[in-house]
Amino acid sequence: MRKAATAHELPDTGQVRAQAASRPTSRPDMMTRLRPYLYLTPAMICFILFFFYPIGSIIYLSFQDWSLINLEAMEWVGLQNYTELVADQEFQQVLTNTLVFTFATVGISLAISFLLALWLNKKAKMYGIIQATVFSPHIISFVSVSMLWMWLMDPQFGLLNAVLEAVGLPGYTWLTDPSSALLSLILVNVWKGVGYNTLIFIAGLQSIPGDIYEAAALDRSPWWRTLTRITIPMLSPTMFFLFIINMISSSHAFDTIAIMTQGGPINSSNMLVYYIYEQGMDYYNGGFAAAASVILLLIVGVLTALYFLFMSKRVHYR
Amino acid sequence: MKAMKKTGTILCALALGLSGVLAGCGSTGKEQAASTGNTTKPATETAASNGPVEIDFWYALGGVRGKTIEDMVKKFNESHKDIKVKAAYQGAYQDNHSKVLASVAAGNNPDVTMVEIASIAAFADAKVLEDLTPYSQGDEKKYIPGLMKNSYWKDKLYAVPFNRSTPLLYINRDMLKAAGLDPNGPKSWDELISYSQKLVKKEGDKVTRYGFSTPVDIWFYEALVFQSGGNILSEDGKELTLNNESGKAPLELWTKMVKEGLMKNPPGENYNAWDVAEQDFLNQKVGMIFTTTGSLTELKKNAKFDMGAAFLPANKNFGTPTGGANLVMLAKSSDAEKKAAWEFMKWMTDTEQTVPWSIASGYMPVTTAAVDSPEMKAFYEKDPNFKVAVDQLQYGYPRPMAPGYKELQDVIQKELQRAMLGQATIDEALQNATDKGSKLLKK
Repeated sequence: MRKAATAHELPDTGQVRAQAASRPTSRPDMMTRLRPYLYLTPAMICFILFFFYPIGSIIYLSFQDWSLINLEAMEWVGLQNYTELVADQEFQQVLTNTLVFTFATVGISLAISFLLALWLNKKAKMYGIIQATVFSPHIISFVSVSMLWMWLMDPQFGLLNAVLEAVGLPGYTWLTDPSSALLSLILVNVWKGVGYNTLIFIAGLQSIPGDIYEAAALDRSPWWRTLTRITIPMLSPTMFFLFIINMISSSHAFDTIAIMTQGGPINSSNMLVYYIYEQGMDYYNGGFAAAASVILLLIVGVLTALYFLFMSKRVHYR
Repeated sequence: MKAMKKTGTILCALALGLSGVLAGCGSTGKEQAASTGNTTKPATETAASNGPVEIDFWYALGGVRGKTIEDMVKKFNESHKDIKVKAAYQGAYQDNHSKVLASVAAGNNPDVTMVEIASIAAFADAKVLEDLTPYSQGDEKKYIPGLMKNSYWKDKLYAVPFNRSTPLLYINRDMLKAAGLDPNGPKSWDELISYSQKLVKKEGDKVTRYGFSTPVDIWFYEALVFQSGGNILSEDGKELTLNNESGKAPLELWTKMVKEGLMKNPPGENYNAWDVAEQDFLNQKVGMIFTTTGSLTELKKNAKFDMGAAFLPANKNFGTPTGGANLVMLAKSSDAEKKAAWEFMKWMTDTEQTVPWSIASGYMPVTTAAVDSPEMKAFYEKDPNFKVAVDQLQYGYPRPMAPGYKELQDVIQKELQRAMLGQATIDEALQNATDKGSKLLKK
């Protein structure tokens, strides 16, 4: 739902800018200036209660030594939670896993979706059917998807290994080995995400005006030049949007981990959100969990900010 | 001046709007408090006016077992006019634990709940639980002593046994007979190895049938440490005592058996590995497995062969931890609620209830009188496998009692896996576990 809303807002960016530019220059009176804030008050209160207050509270809690099991024994420890976390090998592995998982999932998923979108952006019944098929994983819950893939990836009676062995290849270890568990999770998340990304890409492709292509065709532009000079630049706002959305959702992966691997074997597929859950809910280390949450917030914040800074210059808004 | 006036009205409007919104919030807040508070607070009020005392009981077993619990509660309410128990399912052990802790913080906690036995120390240490000594007054002697070892914290009684299990060795008797082995199974680690050697089948280099399989799980590791004469924690609970003979012996046995193709290390995390071991056993891909008594009913129903249960084989001696959950009372309840809560706990775990509970759920009966009762004896006669767990309790050890054991057991388990997968030697793995463990225990 939230994703869909943001998708609709995208094309509006231009309009907002235009309005900002045409703001009346005469100084409005007090009432006019304050009225918007008045109207915003109810929404702001909800925002403060459900967004700003929890964020502030988690930052405050991250400086405390506190246990979920004994809330009265809370103690201010300054940065100790952070220093201990950063020095912890397990946490370092969790961070690396999260980054590898996020970038691999987003990279592979966007690449496949882009190619699929190029292929499926045609007007024939068949393409519509394929589109619907590719999109279908998006509407299945992550829990069902995880259960299904666990079954497929079973090393003994799983379909994947049966296929591999049928063509004479050795079976793969999938979720059962520290070297392959993270890769298997990436595969599942790519499979789940490709459909949605493809759909947005196709929408982006269809919004590129046909006359540009006609002009290119008249000039006998080769297909790869049309692709790199027209399609990709014109599609860059869509790519940018998908990149951010995918990155944020991938860095928050939880369901697949909780159901398929529980962070194992030997921590090899543990990621930040699951780690936070484990620390908080299983081990009652509230301070650690809070500090790890703040680190997650920082990582996502910094990555998003970086992309807005560097990518937004390259993104071509019409 | 005009502007000033306008600002005034705006501020007024703002204030009004704010108060409106806040009032809205306030009222919903109150409603919530009322609806959740309903569950505990009015209980004391009604108690004062001589109505029944209402208490809340949160449990953590679903399916058939959950339904049995609901039926038991209904029966209790019918036979106790002065107490009304409201039972609610709260998800598996860990979910229930988190919810109980959150409810304690919010001040609307249940009065009785189930706590997994290795977490009793954590809950008692944090003073979440009520000391039961004054309520029980020696009544706790009715329980099987082997089941009481995880009920005490700092010499005070905090829990009574409810749904309890032990690990067992499950045997495919047909397979053992066909291999010319004693169908009652191996009695010692050496026999476990020699039996497995005779059960293994190979096609070329590939093992098609294993002798033995067990999840590399902390629970079974604990059992093997006990069997080797050791313990997980030092007497004072401040140190991990694994980096020694008794800590190494289990890993040496398992790695040796895996290396020689006698034992299958079932893949999967936590209970996924348990499922794999049980499936392999049912599919006759493995002759013997370790799993819980809790699986007995299910395995018996699905096994297409003569299935037996036996004590876990001994190294220096027999030994087993117990598992499952205990009933506890919460410290924050009112006196009237506590009195009613004890009445309910006592009733739930009494011989008359624990016998049908054991038969319906597959868990062990918890009182000594229950084991000797005619119903239980008749049940055991029909299938002696069900009695093995109770008999094994004479070799029962408490699960380690330390407030941070939930985290510690995950630390140990990860190191065990590292050793099993050859990522670390046994010495390195146990040294790692000890280092991390002692840091945790000092917290």
